[in-house]
Formats: sequence, C-alpha cells, structure tokens
Amino acid sequence: MSGHDSKYFSTTKKGEIPELKEELNSQYKDKRKDAVKKVIAAMTVGKDVSSLFTDVVNCMQTENLELKKLVYLYLINYAKSQPDLAILAVNTFVKDSQDPNPLIRALAVRTMGCIRVDKITEYLCDPLQRCLKDDDPYVRKTAAICVAKLYDINAELVEDRGFLEALKDLISDNNPMVVANAVAALAEIQESSVRPIFEITSHTLTKLLTALNECTEWGQVFILDSLSRYKATDARDAENIVERVTPRLQHANCAVVLSAVKIILLQMELITSTDVVRNLCKKMAPPLVTLLSAEPEIQYVALRNINLIVQKRPTILAHEIKVFFCKYNDPIYVKMEKLEIMIKLASDRNIDQVLLEFKEYATEVDVDFVRKAVRAIGRCAIKLDRAAERCISVLLELIKIKVNYVVQEAIIVIKDIFRRYPNTYESIIATLCESLDNLDEPEAKASMIWIIGEYAERIDNADELLESFLETFPEEPALVQLQLLTATVKLFLKKPTEGPQQMIQAVLNNATVETDNPDLRDRAYIYWRLLSTDPEAAKDVVLAEKPVISDDSNQLDPSLLDELLANISTLSSVYHKPPEAFVSRVKAAPRADDEEFADAGETGYSESPSQGVDGSSPSSSAGTSSHVPAKQPAAAAPAAPAPIPDLLGDLMGLDNALVPVDEPTATSGPPLPVVLPSTTGQGLQISAQLVRRDGQIFYDISFENGTQGVLDGFMIQFNKNTFGLAAGGPLQVPPLQPGDSSRTLLPMVFSQNVSTGAPNSLLQVAVKNNQQPVWYFNDKGSLHVFFGEDGKMERTSFLEAWKSLPDDNEFSKEFPNSVINSIDATIEHLSASNVFFIAKRRNANMDVLYLSAKIPRGIPFLIELTAAVGVPGAKCAVKTPNREYVPLFFEAMEPLIK
Amino acid sequence: MISQFFVLSQRGDHIVFRDYRGEVPKGSAEIFFRKVKFWNEDEAEEAPPVFNIDGVNYIHVKVAGLYFVVTTMVNISPSLLLELLQRIARVTKDYLGVLNEDSLRKNFILVYELLDEVIDFGYPQTTSTEALKSYIFNEPIMVDAGRMPPLGPAAMFMQGSKRMPGTAVTKSVVANEPGGKKREEIFVDIIEKISVTFSSSGYILTSEIDGTIQMKSYLSGNPEIRLALNEDLGIGRSGSSTHDYRSSSGGGSVVLDDCNFHESVQLDSFDIDRTLHLIPPDGEFPVMNYRMTQEFKPPFRVTALIEEAGPSRAEVLLKIRADFSANVTANTITVQMPVPSYTMRASFELEAGAVGQTTDFKEGSRRLEWNLKKIVGGSEHTLRAKLTFSQESHGNLTKEAGPVNMNFTIPMYNASKLQVRYLQISKKSKTYNPYRWVRYVTQANSYVARL
Repeated sequence: MSGHDSKYFSTTKKGEIPELKEELNSQYKDKRKDAVKKVIAAMTVGKDVSSLFTDVVNCMQTENLELKKLVYLYLINYAKSQPDLAILAVNTFVKDSQDPNPLIRALAVRTMGCIRVDKITEYLCDPLQRCLKDDDPYVRKTAAICVAKLYDINAELVEDRGFLEALKDLISDNNPMVVANAVAALAEIQESSVRPIFEITSHTLTKLLTALNECTEWGQVFILDSLSRYKATDARDAENIVERVTPRLQHANCAVVLSAVKIILLQMELITSTDVVRNLCKKMAPPLVTLLSAEPEIQYVALRNINLIVQKRPTILAHEIKVFFCKYNDPIYVKMEKLEIMIKLASDRNIDQVLLEFKEYATEVDVDFVRKAVRAIGRCAIKLDRAAERCISVLLELIKIKVNYVVQEAIIVIKDIFRRYPNTYESIIATLCESLDNLDEPEAKASMIWIIGEYAERIDNADELLESFLETFPEEPALVQLQLLTATVKLFLKKPTEGPQQMIQAVLNNATVETDNPDLRDRAYIYWRLLSTDPEAAKDVVLAEKPVISDDSNQLDPSLLDELLANISTLSSVYHKPPEAFVSRVKAAPRADDEEFADAGETGYSESPSQGVDGSSPSSSAGTSSHVPAKQPAAAAPAAPAPIPDLLGDLMGLDNALVPVDEPTATSGPPLPVVLPSTTGQGLQISAQLVRRDGQIFYDISFENGTQGVLDGFMIQFNKNTFGLAAGGPLQVPPLQPGDSSRTLLPMVFSQNVSTGAPNSLLQVAVKNNQQPVWYFNDKGSLHVFFGEDGKMERTSFLEAWKSLPDDNEFSKEFPNSVINSIDATIEHLSASNVFFIAKRRNANMDVLYLSAKIPRGIPFLIELTAAVGVPGAKCAVKTPNREYVPLFFEAMEPLIK
Repeated sequence: MISQFFVLSQRGDHIVFRDYRGEVPKGSAEIFFRKVKFWNEDEAEEAPPVFNIDGVNYIHVKVAGLYFVVTTMVNISPSLLLELLQRIARVTKDYLGVLNEDSLRKNFILVYELLDEVIDFGYPQTTSTEALKSYIFNEPIMVDAGRMPPLGPAAMFMQGSKRMPGTAVTKSVVANEPGGKKREEIFVDIIEKISVTFSSSGYILTSEIDGTIQMKSYLSGNPEIRLALNEDLGIGRSGSSTHDYRSSSGGGSVVLDDCNFHESVQLDSFDIDRTLHLIPPDGEFPVMNYRMTQEFKPPFRVTALIEEAGPSRAEVLLKIRADFSANVTANTITVQMPVPSYTMRASFELEAGAVGQTTDFKEGSRRLEWNLKKIVGGSEHTLRAKLTFSQESHGNLTKEAGPVNMNFTIPMYNASKLQVRYLQISKKSKTYNPYRWVRYVTQANSYVARL
C-alpha cells in the first residue's frame, strides 16, 4: 500500500457518496480497496455511509484479508441499522468459517458474534459449533470468546445448543490461550446468571494451575481471578494453591502480581501454620513495593490496594515505611495516598523519621497536600501516645511559620489531641491564642472556640476571647454558632460571674429568637431549660467527662474491609466501595419473560426516556431488540415478581419507597406545559412545571384522565438530578373518574441525592398509578426557579466578588429578542424572580445594570446587563465561580428579560 | 470487561475510538475529557487514573501527550487495564515508529486492525508485537520523526550524543527499510532512575534506584540471546530493617531488593551464573526491572543555603559537585528552588567564566531555576542569588524556601554498578555479526536536597 491513509479524510467535495459507490463497484481490486478505506475513514469521523451497505458488502468476497477485514469492520458498525441487508453477508460468513485459512475462519466467527442482529445469530450457531472444535488454536480461542458474545445476545440459544459444555471442554485444551479465553467467557457468563455454570472443582483447579504457567500475561489474570472464587477445602489445599501461585509475584505485569496477591491473601485465611503465614508475608512485601516503581497510574492503584492490605495485615509492610515517603515529582494523587499509608504504618519505632517527613511536606506548595500533612501529624499524636509530645512540638513549630492555612489546620488537629489526652498539653494554649485573629475557616474557628470553652477555667481571659467572637455571632456559619453557644455555657458554668452571665443571655437570645437554624435553636432551648431548672444538673451534663477518642478516621469497618480485601486488584479496591455500589449490571434476577417485555415496549414503555434514566442501558443504537431476549430461559424463571416497583427502584437508584397518595388538594393557575401527552400515556395526560412560591420550590402538576376507567393510587418519583430535587411529601391526587382532571402543588426538597456530571436542568420523573404501567417523562426546569431570596448582594461585596473572580469566569451572551422598555419595570420584574438589582450606570446611550442572583449551595451569579431602552437586543455578562452553570443561567435569564 | 477504548488528543479530539460491547451511553469520550480537564479547577490537580462517573468507569494513562482511555461497566482489575493501555501504546509505537497524533491519524486503518487483534469483546488477547505480526496485514506509513519528540526512556539517547544511531529508536519494528534489507542490530539499554533525599546537613535520608534493562531487537530469525550480569549480583535484602543496607555496602557487590523479568526470559541458569537466556520477541520490551535501596554514591552533591541579608532581603547559595569520573558528562541539568511566597525579585550571580548556564526567577511559581547544559565529572558549580521581599520575613526562611530539586541525565553512567558483562547472540553463520548496542543511562527521578 502506498500513500497516506489520511488522504481518505480529505474528500469533502459534493457527491461524495455516488463517487464512492462508483469506486466500490470498480473492476479493479486496488480501486475497490481504496474506496472501502475511504468509506471507513468517513465512518470513523461520524459520517453516515450506511447507504453504501450493499456496495461494501459486495466487496466482501475476496481473498484479500486486508480488504475483508475492512468490510467486516464496516459490517459491525452498520448491520444493526440495516438488518435486512446484513442477511446478504451471511452466506459469505458461513463460507468463510470453513475457509482453509485459519485466520479467515477466526475472522468470520469473531465478526459474526459482533453483529447483534437476531437473524444472523441463528446462522452463527453451526459455524460456531465447528470452530469450537477447530484444529487451529487461534480459531478455538476466538470461538470461545464468541460464546460469551452469543450468550449476551441470546442466552437461551447458548444453553440449548450445548455451547456451555463445549466451553467447559475447552478448559482442558492443550493451548493455554484457548484455556484462558474459555475461562474468561465462562466467568462472564457466570456473572450474568444466577445458576451455577462455572464451578471450580479440584479437577478444574489442577488444569487451571497448569495453564497458568504457560499462557499470556492477560490469560494469567483471567485465570487468577477465576481461581480467587475457589474455596479451598482445608489448610493443605490452600497451601498447595498458594505454592503454585507465588511465582506469579515475580511477574513484570502489575495486574498479574496484584491478582496473585489477592489469591494468597484469601488462602492465607485458611492456613493455620504461623510459619507459613509469616513466610508468605515476607514474600509478598518486595513485589508490593516494586509496584511503586511503575508508572504513577499503576502506583495509585497499588497504593489504594496496599492501604487495604496494611489495615488487615500491618506486618507485611511494617518495615517498608521509607518507600512510601513522597517523591518530589509524584503526582498529587499519589502523594495523598502515600500519606495515608504512612499514617497507618507509623509506629513508635519509626515515628521520628515519619515526623521529619511530615514536617517537610507541611512546608510544600500544594495547599491540599500541606493540610493533609498537618492533619497527619495530629493523627499520629492520637495514635501513638508515646509520640504525642513530639508531634505537638512539630505542630507548634509549624504554627510559628504563620502560614495561615497551616495554623488553622494545626488548631483543628490540636483540638482532637486535647480530646485524646485531656489535661495534658494545655500549656500550649497561649501559643494558640496568638493566632486567634487570623482564623477565618469555620472548622478552625469552631475548634479554637471549643478549646477555650473546654479550658475556660485555666484561661484567664477566656471571657474576653469568647466575647470577641460573639460580636459576629449572627453572621457565623452554623458550625461556629453551635460551638460558641456550648463554649459560652461552659464558661458560665465554670465562672458564674457577671460578665459571662451577660454573655450567656445574649447568646441564648440570639440563638433562640434571631436564628432560623433549628439545630441551634433546639440546642439553645435545652441549655436554657437546664440552666433555669437545675444548674447543677446542667453542670453534670455539659461538663461531663467525654469518652476518649482514637484515630479511626479513614479506618474501614471490619466487614467492609473484608469484603474489599476479597476484591483486591479490582476497581472496588480502588474506590474502597463494594462492587454493588458502582456496578449497575447486577446478576440478572429472574426476569419477566419475552412476551411481557415486548408488550411493555409496545404499550408505551417508551425506550428513549428509560434509556435516559438508566445509564447502564445500551447506547441508543441498541434498540428494543436487545431487551427482548431474556437473559434467563423462560422456563427457569420462577413466578416473576411485579416488575414495576422493582424497575422504579432500579431506575431511580433510590431506596426510599414510592410516596403514597394522600387526600387531594385542588389548585388552579395558568395552563401547564404537557409533559406526557395522552397518546403516550394511554389516555392519561400529565402537565407539569417547576415553580417557586414564597421561597419554596413546588412541582405544579396536573393529571387529566382520558381513559375509560378510574385511575387511582398515583405516586411520583424523581431521578437523581443536578440539584438533588426530590418530592418533599406525598403526591396528593384523588381517584380520577374518566374525563376528570386534578391539579396539585407538590412541595420539593433538596436531598443529598445529587447526580454528578455537568449540571443540567433535566428532571426525570416517574409516575405510576394502580391501573397503568409506570410512565417516565423528562421535564426541563428553568434555573430561575432555583434563584434564592437570599441572592441580594451588598454593593461592596459585589464589587469585591467581581474583582476576585478571574476573567476566565466571565461569560457573556446576546439576547437579540429582548427589549427593555423601562429600567424600573425591568428591575422590579427581575427582583420578583429573585434577580436583585445592585447598581446601574449609563455608558453612551446604553444602560448598564448590575444584578446578582444565587442558587442552592451558595453559588452566586454576578450579572452585568447592557441594553438601550426601547431598542431590541441586550447583552448579558455573568461572572460566577461555578462556570458549569453558565449555560443554564443564560437559558433562564433570557425569558426573564422580555 | 472493557467496553470502549479511545485515544484523545490534548484538546479532546477523538483520534481513535473503538466500542467493543455497545453498553456505554454515548458521549463517554466527552464526559471523560471534561472531567479530566476540570478535575479541580482552582487547585490545578491532576485527575486520578481511575474514576467513575454515572456508573461508567474511566481508566486512563497519558502517553506522549495523548490520553489512552478505556471504559468499563464491571468490577475488573484496573491494573490490568492500565498495563494494557501502556502496552497498546508500546505496540503501536513498535508498528508506527513514532507515537503521536499525526502517526495515529495517518495509520488509522492499521491501528483499528491492531485493536481488533489486541482486544476481542473487551478481553485482552495478545499485546506481543511478535505474535501480532502473523495477524496484521496493513503496512505502516512513516511520519517524519525528525521534529517529533520521541517516546520512552530510550529517547534520551537522542540528545546530542553522536555515538548513537539516532534514527534507530524511531524505526518501526515491522516496516522494511527503504533500501530493502533490514539492518541487523539489537539495543540493550540499562536505564536507571535514581531518587535521593539529602537532609539539611547533607546526609542521605533515602535513596533508591529503579532500573530497567530494556531491549529492542531488529534481529531477523529470532536468534537466542545470552545476557550476563554481574556474577556476584545478590537479590533480596537479608534482613528487613530499614537501615540494613548500610551493613552490606562494604562488600562491593550489587544487591537488588527485588526484580522481575519479561515472560520470554529463561531463568534456568540465573541462580548459578547470573545469565539470562531469551529469544527476544520483536519490539521494545523490558527484559528485567529491578529496585535497589543499597547505599550507592549519588552522582551529585547538592548544597543550598538561604540567609537573611537585611530586613527584607536574603541571599541564596547553590552549589553542586559532580561526584563521577571526568570522562562522563551529565547533560540537561536543571536545579530548582522554591523561595518564600513574598519574594518580589531575584538577581543572580553566576561563577566567573560560566558557559551554557542560564538562570531564571519564575514569578508565578516563586521558584529559582538554574539550567546547565552540561557538567563534566569532578567539576563544581555555584550560583548566588539575591532575593528582595515585599515584606519582612518571619525569621524562618529555611521553612519557607526549598527543597532544592534537581533534574539531570547522565549517559554512560549507572549508579547501581549493575553491568551487562556480555551480550551473546547465537550465530547463524560465521559472517553473521549484528550490531550490538549496550547503553547505560542514569536519570534523576526525585533528587532533592532539603534546607
């Protein structure tokens, strides 16, 4: 071949498709090959070349492997959209699968498995059967994977045609590549089935262990991962396995090493001889350490795993703490993990060395890393009582450098040290108080206040110190307010003199009357009653001895730890979460059989919303057909549970049950946009919109029953969304007679269930009733319902905020259709929508307005609106720290300025 | 298993995109790119190599400025995927000679052909260039390598040193030379990355060598090779105390903490005479990786001083001494030293007659930077700098400045003293005498002197 492939990208002139068509049908081989390459080039950049299907398929019958591969690549891509035409290719496939050249046989069976078209699948069975018994190992290993492909398309077919047995036979194959692929395919099939399909017996165990030594590194990982499911019968059995697996620790491939470590750790649980265990620990240490010489990406995975291993078996790496010292050029994600492991391995023996390192890290540049280093010193103090004093002196040294965030972080950890060792280190309080004025982080402030309250009797001017904080009480964050309240009460109980008495009155008054934070108010009332009824009892309660704390931060719960250790070397061990927390493809529970599913498809279980809701469903090119074949043979499925609630739970990823319907309330208002037309809803029409009333967000929703029967039992559920909006109460809809309609305001709340990813205003809703299937629809709320009443900014703080935000965070957009007829009316109109006016100025003939708005989680928008009165067109510029919300903001803003 | 594999440019353009299972929703490449680009906007932090967004797991490495990414929906081994991504990059490089956006785009059909053999239905099949040769039919199209920064540690041989046949490293393993016949040659590179931390008083706090014996064979007919290392090479520290290595340093023998080998290596006689037997597969691969914490002589001694010189001034003195023999020359040396954040200006004073040295004060990152083109063994260089502060210092200058970090490359030098005693190629005929290149190089990994 000559020339550059990239030239295929450059044909953009008109009539490209007819031109290609002509070339594809050329009588010259080379020209045809070039044409197919052009088609593939077009395909990879996303152009639609499906109309050339027949012409490309015609090029398939060739002896030229290069050309054949290209045609197959095309087929995989377009067969789904042209299922009828794809049948044309079947004959060639079947013929190719019997070709004398093993590469062609393998290619045919590999490609056919990738074409997920039912009609083709049927033709796949015979060639696959032959290829599984082919003489050539390359064909057999390809066929083994093909069984897994077929199982994914049509599990029943695989079981009926006996492919599972054929696959199991391949475990005894003499070629290790074939064994490895058979193991991988069986493991995948087992993963999606509830029946035992692939069980490792002592017989298969021997075969797998033999194949392990010979196959490729990737095959070794497949086999090791399957072996990890094997339950050894006794200690001898376990020792035997470990002995065969240990040499894998020497492998240059980190995946092999980690998978081997997993098996050894699992089997160690059964081994009773302490000598053997000790020896194994010794053998595992060097390879684990060597993982840290790999690329930083692999180091990260290794460190996350080592973190788990040292929690269970600290002895393995107890002497290796030096290798976890941070290197100058480690990426930050590696440094953070190393720090965590250093804390776990810190002991009385190595603490001096470790402290020296931490101290050094605490003066580095990266703020997050520095904070974590300071915190690490505190955690070591709590963990090792004999080293506590040394840790504290290091902290004091750091405080003296007077780097603000270091000081604040140090104060936070010192509070914990005081909790751990009460009445031991108060002498340093004086030093801490020197930094009092510089505290601006809530957690540091709260910690300092706690210290003052706790040791009020030893600090001469405790009342003055607290009083200085009290001045700003109403503006403080809740965290600080709560600590101030408690500290003042402590002070009063310890020094019931006049000054503190006045202070306590002021605080209690502030915390009960002038706050809208229920936690603060409740705590204040409790103190108030305690103090007024029985001051002695108050003393017993407030000044009670506190339980001693230990360093359990970042320590995992033992049962979770065991589960994660069983998942060493997997994603689970990197996230430190059990697999079910992030893998959505769970074992196919007995599902409803084909018919019901097909039925649901027809009756309006429309696929687009469901795929939108369920992130794990196939990409949109995979139509309903991929849903139709059930993973389970119908016969094996026991009575299917009512699918609807399950489905809802799955789709929404929420575990709270549906909100039941209570008594009805009637509401009226302007007509709402239709979100579920009656044609889709089998007669039920739903209209809805997010609205804001009196500072609260409601879902204004109306139901219209166009069916022949009564509809009742309405429930509603919202999928995770950007703002974590969820129903704040039950949906109140009365039973709807035919022809009836009902409208209600559903209060909405902000839950923790926030979807990640780029913010959007999409609201995915599921509604059900007792008579119909679940309806899913997408509603698009405008950002302006989230604009809070607290969005008004002071002029000065607006200016400061505007200046402090980098210019990168400024965005602007023209609203060509907006006309401002009166400045005052616009200001009034905008402030009704919680976009608050701050200032205005004139620039030539233009008016410039400065406005502010705020959405939940305290995200502000600083707005500059430029327009000429009466002239269409306005320019809106916005600055915000959270630039990802900007598109949504403009979307919401435009209709407000009409 | 693997759902998708893709390669993105630094700007987020798709260069290669292959979906193996059709289970990940559309737009994954964009979602990935946005996440990586804006991982933590204010902190300029790098995204970790493994993360999950909306149920899709993204695993990536950065090679030659490109993002190599796989996605998966299941709980599989991320180290497998990371290794695989590195291996795909290496195989592609073997085929294309150079790995960059241009070469990938020019050869996209070959790349897709490779990907189909490397991964089937999301399962890695083979990543050995040698094995792949029987299944790959497209011929690579060479791109002009002259301008391209080459990939991998062997690239350091390209820098200025005329002894090395520069084009060899960017030569495709499979493509035929324009002249028709391939040149018979084999490269064995002993590449060592050293990490040393000096305490403020000049003691060595930690030291470590990460080494690789890398091989790249252009030999036809896959002859067997014998590679002999130091006869007295020891493996595994006897005890496990962190200070243990000091006791073994007197003996003069090289003791590795740990090592591992490529799967083609036969270790039958390794325990007896420290010889490795192998039939090298085509392509570049590490024969052996090793790690050593045994005490060694660091190639450079670094001394740094910072002293107050008046109320809002300070003086810095940096000194480096090359502790290696005079026939060895280090090149591209960079010394960096962070200074207090309130430093406004820095003026430098180089030693008299300094050649090929530049200095800079990086205002954005508050760092002094000192670049030296080369340093000959045995020589010593100093730099003085005067700093002007915008405020009075807190009297704690050593805590607010440093540590000094050094970067360098020293060709034909290895810190560990691990040697290839001989490289024997089993002869096909008497006249068969392929070129053998055994090259040593030492690079700084994390070379730090604290203040």
